[in-house]
Amino acid sequence: MVTRRRVLRTGLTAAAAVSGTAAALSPMLAASDRNPAAATPGAVEAALGPPGEPPQDDEGSSAPLFDEVYRNRRIQGFASDAEAGLDVFVDGRPLQLMRRVDGSWISVANHFQPFLTPLATARGAVDAIGRADLSLTNAGHHH
Amino acid sequence: MYTRKNQRNLTSDQRTRFVKAVLEVKRLGRYDKYVSLHSRYFAADGESGLRVAHMAPTFFPWHRHFLIVFERELQLIDPGVSIPYWDWTRDSSASSKLWADDFMGGNGRSSDGQVMTGPFAYRNGGWPIVFGVTEERYLTRNLGRPDRPLKLPSAAELTGALAIATYDTAPWNSSPHTQGFRNRIEGWTVSDKAGGYLHNRVHQWVGGHMIGASSPNDPVFWLHHAFIDLIWVRWQRQHRTSRYLPDRPLGAKDPQHGRVISSNEPMPPFGVKPSAVFDHRHYYQYEEN
Repeated sequence: MVTRRRVLRTGLTAAAAVSGTAAALSPMLAASDRNPAAATPGAVEAALGPPGEPPQDDEGSSAPLFDEVYRNRRIQGFASDAEAGLDVFVDGRPLQLMRRVDGSWISVANHFQPFLTPLATARGAVDAIGRADLSLTNAGHHH
Repeated sequence: MYTRKNQRNLTSDQRTRFVKAVLEVKRLGRYDKYVSLHSRYFAADGESGLRVAHMAPTFFPWHRHFLIVFERELQLIDPGVSIPYWDWTRDSSASSKLWADDFMGGNGRSSDGQVMTGPFAYRNGGWPIVFGVTEERYLTRNLGRPDRPLKLPSAAELTGALAIATYDTAPWNSSPHTQGFRNRIEGWTVSDKAGGYLHNRVHQWVGGHMIGASSPNDPVFWLHHAFIDLIWVRWQRQHRTSRYLPDRPLGAKDPQHGRVISSNEPMPPFGVKPSAVFDHRHYYQYEEN
């Protein structure tokens, strides 16, 4: 089980230290082997309705809402107590999302275009940033 | 009092002086605070808290003051400079002189979106991106979004939005139920495929940095928003009996209480009331042709 906290702990620190996605992803790739359906976009989309797996209570962390490789980028979403209600990562780096009043979403990477689901928002962000790495420190939202 | 001109009418000397002043603000380390400020004040309406810059009635007055502050910074460097406006209903092509090498520079290259020409190309040394959504240090663009082509808003679309006599309506946000002029211009009310409406679609059409939280990294941001500001002027002229709304603070029972700013409440971070900037002629005039 890959947890949100493990992404925060291992994904981010590895990404910052090594600045290579392979190093950042290795702990998470092992976890996804146990859930091969997670790499299939259609199957993941379904998980965004009613939660597919109950939250794990070990560290207050939860199962991923989605976890797939899209255009060679690992995109993951986890429920959280953040204002937007979830944490989304691209190759282990946080992508900040905001919620619109109609239930759609925007992200820092695509600020003027709403998407219907967090997964679509994450894919839209990958489309926007191409091969670039999300900044760990810059262009954050004001909460 | 100074004059903001249509960018298409600038002389070669005026183009060069504007670019030089922007580059100098950047070189002095004074540009990037505008990028971060714009990003920090972008709050969304599906969350809690005050909204000032977007998805709110203060979209027009907040950006007006934001541009005035930046313009003062430019004028400290060259008192003869003002922010030109880009009328994207007329100069709607990627081959417009707007994108020439002596002004905004050209499109991004297809591999990574990097702008390779003009004064804001990274390789020309004067325009490193400091505060971006990604770690890339170069300015990016993707004019017209060729993989899913977009057109800039037409004059007819703009005329239709200008005909709306009511400035803004409850619930004062980005939902389709918010039927006024402000929400139509801001552009949240159209499908994803159409790329948004007027203001939002221009951000989408330029692409690259202009679509992200750090959109002022592209200096064309100022020219786009100067035209948005001129659109507000035209709306005021066309609807002389209409005014900014809400004109009084919302009551404690209103669901938007504490989330939007009425005429005489101060707008953070400036502490300036919307009413202080209702009349642009206190600050500048537009040369319209």
